[in-house]
Amino acid sequence: MSRVLDVVRIQLVHWPALLGYPLLALAAMPLLGWGIDVSNGEGALGAHEIYLLPALWGVIAPAHLQTMTQVFPFTLGLGVTRRTFAAATALVVLGQALFVGLGLVALDVVERLTGGWGREAQIFGLDVLGQSNPLVLWFVYSGPLVAVSAIAVLAGVVFQRWRLTGIYLAIFGSVAVLVAVGVLAKTQSWGPAIGGFLDGQPPLALFTAYPVVFALALGGAGWLVLRRATA
Amino acid sequence: MNVVRTVGVSRRYGPLAALDGVSVELAENTIHGLLGRNGAGKTTLMRILTGQDFETGGTVEVFGQHPYENADVLSRVCFIKESQRYPEKFRVKHALRAAELLYPNWDNAYATALLADFAIPSGPLLGKLSRGQLSAVGVIIGLASRAPLTLFDEPYLGLDAVARQLFYDRLLADYAENPRTIVLSTHLIDEVSDLIEHVVLLDRGKVLIDADAESLRGEAIAVTGPADAVERFAAGYEELHRERIGGSLRVTLTGAGHRHEPGLDFEPVSLQQLVVRTTQRNGRPVAAGKES
Repeated sequence: MSRVLDVVRIQLVHWPALLGYPLLALAAMPLLGWGIDVSNGEGALGAHEIYLLPALWGVIAPAHLQTMTQVFPFTLGLGVTRRTFAAATALVVLGQALFVGLGLVALDVVERLTGGWGREAQIFGLDVLGQSNPLVLWFVYSGPLVAVSAIAVLAGVVFQRWRLTGIYLAIFGSVAVLVAVGVLAKTQSWGPAIGGFLDGQPPLALFTAYPVVFALALGGAGWLVLRRATA
Repeated sequence: MNVVRTVGVSRRYGPLAALDGVSVELAENTIHGLLGRNGAGKTTLMRILTGQDFETGGTVEVFGQHPYENADVLSRVCFIKESQRYPEKFRVKHALRAAELLYPNWDNAYATALLADFAIPSGPLLGKLSRGQLSAVGVIIGLASRAPLTLFDEPYLGLDAVARQLFYDRLLADYAENPRTIVLSTHLIDEVSDLIEHVVLLDRGKVLIDADAESLRGEAIAVTGPADAVERFAAGYEELHRERIGGSLRVTLTGAGHRHEPGLDFEPVSLQQLVVRTTQRNGRPVAAGKES
């Protein structure tokens, strides 16, 4: 376990990318929201939601890509096993998601206390996330971050093993599967059933349980690829 | 005791055999020279020994166990590669700190002294260093790790002659105080010939030489003289090379020991010459190969 923690510390050498930039992005969101409201003019009057949270995913993903394509080969030469590196990566992903999730909870509190930044804006307290207690909300915020990080880690591992060919095949394969599922759902008229199912799910299931299960599945796939990846 | 033992190890990439039945034993607390041309299989062998690549067949043992995903083995191994790449956001001090975290025998004071010796500042991003400076960082990590098995795969890329000599000097001095098993893969055979104690010469994935360096130094001689006299002398010995200049003949022989004859000139053959001649005798076209 101590070796896993040592590799966690090595991964955290570039802590600004893992923790600092996401916090900066969070801090910038109220300002960005204000800018969007100004540009929308009268359309931004009254209670309204601003969908900036997905931008956070784009901030946290690159750090994990770098971890797998740069830090992994470096530590492999220093006698770190793939298993140890994978365990350390899982800890970093989880820790980062919980850390950034805590920041989201804090900003959600500020948003409520300031009446939506003084203009009834909802950047963090989106209705779809529910009005849960802070602990549940923390997990609701953190779940999607874990899933996005898992996608970035898997992409990094695929690149490390098969380079750009692997990335292209993964993208084309994923798009093909998504399109096939979409066509199947359309032809079988599954849309209302899927919509009804998702509507009936509590936020904790929708934004924590399912993303974490998705992340675990990607993590398993990532491990299968990583086992034969080389520096 | 042997730190490394391979028996009949092969590594195939499709139709290409990077390693073909390699059987070697590397003794503990010895400096081993892993020699051979580009594409001979040196890097492939070291990657397999460090669990970074996978043999197609044969047996691999490092510290008595297979190295792949073996934390007990790999925690005692440091592999400094040719053109070692570092995380671009790491500074020199971060790379050294990483090594410090992972190697129990890491000597921080020694690492600091080596930084000064090689004139490497600890602050800059690794991505901003020159190729030679990056090689020096690799050398520093390899030396200061004091890993029981340290492998240097042509670690001198970009290092000038002075810096390379500094590396050899520091390696020898530290090895004398802290004996460990070192595998040094290099093309610069003359530079390390006094350093290495055991030689493994690979060519086209096969072992051509596996012997103590000391015994190799007396193994071959070059005999020069009138062609008839040299031919008579050379009869019965293994011939590695011959070149004729007019009526004069020069042959490189093994097994002739210290036998001398009047009228002939005898010269010792350097380790580099021995390696070159042995490789040439193996019949490979003399052209730049591709490293595998």
